[in-house]
Parts: sequence; C-alpha cells; structure tokens
Amino acid sequence: MRDPVNPSVESPEYPPELARLPPGRHGLPREFVARNQRERLIAGLAEAVAENGYAGTTIAHITRHAAVSRRTFYEHFSSKDECFVSAYDTVMDELRRRVDEAFNGEKEWPQAIRAGLAAMLDFLITEPHLARLSMVEALVAGPVVVERYDAAIQGLVPYFEAGRKGRSEDVLAGLSPTTEEALLGGIVSLISRRIFADRTEELQALLPDLVEFALTPYLGSVEAAKVARQR
Amino acid sequence: MASKSTTRLLPGREPLSREFIARHQRARIIKGLAREASEKGYRAVTVADIVKRAGIARNTFYDNFGSKEECFLAAQEFAMAAALDRVVSAAGEIGDWPRRVKVGLAAFLGYIAEEPALARTCMVEALAAGPNSVKYYEESLQAFVSLFQVGRDVSPFGSELPETLEEALIGGVFWILYQRLLLAETDNLGDLLPELVEFALTPYLGAEAAREVAGEEAAGESSETYE
Repeated sequence: MRDPVNPSVESPEYPPELARLPPGRHGLPREFVARNQRERLIAGLAEAVAENGYAGTTIAHITRHAAVSRRTFYEHFSSKDECFVSAYDTVMDELRRRVDEAFNGEKEWPQAIRAGLAAMLDFLITEPHLARLSMVEALVAGPVVVERYDAAIQGLVPYFEAGRKGRSEDVLAGLSPTTEEALLGGIVSLISRRIFADRTEELQALLPDLVEFALTPYLGSVEAAKVARQR
Repeated sequence: MASKSTTRLLPGREPLSREFIARHQRARIIKGLAREASEKGYRAVTVADIVKRAGIARNTFYDNFGSKEECFLAAQEFAMAAALDRVVSAAGEIGDWPRRVKVGLAAFLGYIAEEPALARTCMVEALAAGPNSVKYYEESLQAFVSLFQVGRDVSPFGSELPETLEEALIGGVFWILYQRLLLAETDNLGDLLPELVEFALTPYLGAEAAREVAGEEAAGESSETYE
C-alpha cells in the first residue's frame, strides 16, 4: 500500500480541507477516505460558489468540482447550506489562525495589529475564492451563516482591546465601549467592499490606511500614521 | 360597474386619487416586505407572504413590482431616501461642521428607531438580496461619505488623512447600528449618539475636541437655539 501524495500532509501551511486529494484509487483506510471526501466537498463548494455565486450553486456543481458522487455528498451533508457552513467555518478558522500567529509574533501592540492586518490581507489576496466565500457569499447564505460571520468579526475585538493596556487616563477617556467594534466594522467594510466589487488587487494598498485607522484612537493620529508607514 | 367607471373618469379628480392610491399601495407593500424580511430573513420571504402582510391582492403586487427583488430594491430606495432626507433637513443648515455631524447622526438614529424593520432591510438584509441591492447599498454609503468629507476642510490634519477614512468611519458606524438591528435592540439607540459622534469626529479634530462636541447638550436642542 503506497501513500498517495497528499498536499494537506506535505504543507503544514494549509488546512487539509482547503487542499485537494488527488483523484483515483488509493486503498486508504475508510475513515481517512471519508475525511478526505469531506474535505474535497468543502474545496469543491468553494470553487463552485466562486463560479456561480451561492444562490446559483447546485449540489451537482459541488460534486463535480469535488469529483465525488451525489450519494457521497449526502453521506456528509444534508444540504448545500450545511456544506457551506462547514466551508465557512474552515476558512474562518484558518484566517483566525494566521492572524493570531502574526499578531503573537510581535512584541509591541501597534506592530502586532499591523502584522495581524497584513496577514489577513495576505490570506484574502492569495485566496480570492475563499475571500469571496467568507466576505461576500457568507452574507447571502442565510441566517445561520450571517450569525457566524458576525461572531467571527466580533471574535477579533480582543486583539484591539489589548491596545487599551497601559494607555493614559486621557486616552482611555476617549474610548467608548463600542470603539473596538466600530473600528472592526470600518476595517471589514473597507475590505469587503473591494471584494464585492472584484477589486481584490486593491487590498494590498489598503494596509497603511487600515493600520492608521485602527491605531488612531489609541496612539493619536501622528503616532498611528508613523506605524502605518513603517517598512 | 358603469357607475364605478364614471367615477374614475371624473376629470381632474381621477389622476390624483389614483396616484394617491398607488403611492399608498406601494408604501404598504414595501413595509410589508420589510416586516416579513426582518422576521424571517429576505431569502425566505415569498410574494405570498408580502401580499398577506400588506393586505392587498396578488395582482396589485404585480401591478407595482415585477418580482420580489424589484420590491426589495424599491424598499431600499424608499428607506435610504427617507433617512437621507431626515439627516439633511435636520442638519443641512448648521454651519458648524462638527455640530452638523452630531445633529445629522441624531436624525439618522431617530429614523432607524422609528422604522426598525425598514432600517434592518436596508442595513442587514440588503447584503443578502443580490447584486443589484448590494450595489445600491454601496451607492448609498457613498452619499454619506460626501457628508463626512467636508470635515477635511475644518481639520488641522485635513491633508494628511488617509483617503479611505470616510469609508471606514461610515463602515464602523453602520456596523454598530447593524449589530443593534441584528439583535433587534433599537429602543435605546439614541444612547449611542455620544460615542458615535466621538468616533466619527476624532480623526478630524483629535480626541479632546471630539469628546467635547460629543458631550454637549442634546443635539436637537442646541441646534434650535442657534436659529
């Protein structure tokens, strides 16, 4: 029994659900095959949605991209919606993991915010299909996904809240309970509007603006602009 | 039948009343759609639901709109126009820009509190209702952008502000309101005014000056004393 080349094992950078198992017979243990089928279906959905939009995607599109049978689809998911939710969670876990790693790689908070934002943009730029799935199609995929979208964004609040630590009374007085939410809302809106409009190529240039916007309430605009223009 | 058509043909009177009825019907259908959408989500709403909620005949619906999508777009246009109108008529005449922002935001919050279903339709459901409505949503955000951009003229940092600032500020304000609408917490929306004002003004005026404007007496009152 020979192990097939499996990109998900070879590349620790990439979550298995988003990589693809080469098609063909492989004689792998049943459980492994099942897991990989699931992963292929998720990858297939991302491709199908990028091609047809969420509303226009059918289960046939998904199974064709995943190269599995319709029956296999229904062994893993009861509906297109359920498959989408799995795909969404997978993408967001990966995005969160990358942001977290970048953020924790920096000692100073302003630089950590910058690194986290850069990691987020990088992911979205290199994965335009997943960017669309997570920032655009998620909003049309029904209330369950919208709830998750919301939770994913609110889940980023603590990275910003960390910036309150050690600030002067004066700075803290200028922050409200909703400052972090508003900052995130602004950042997400800038990013997702560009993805909506198929202008993903503009995302890279957005970094300094996002950094300055995010840091201004904590550092003041002069200091924030300095960090934004570093490197 | 005969008497009915005679009444309708009365000169002068007929166009007016018909227009009045038509407008009234449109508004009722739009509000019906908004209420249905805010209860079950736009995707799940059917024309039958709208017709039932609006208390009109199915034919009447199709006299006014070609489809659910068309009706949704009309609802968006209706609410955005009403909200902008409210903002401009409350704040348009105020010369002092920071106070104009404050009064404008207060008017905006007031409209949302009054029409939570329509507001939810525009700010929450719009993104789920297809490409045309997303496009319209984007364009309406743009209208708010130009209201904010005036702040660059009064800001000591005007020339250094990032190009995307207004877009980000409006995105932020909308996100906060979106959260409230999503949770159907619109009763005390006015309480958000000081923090939203501070958030919006800080990049232009600095934290201290922004806080000062945000903390002043109720916006509506002070604008009246100026006049």
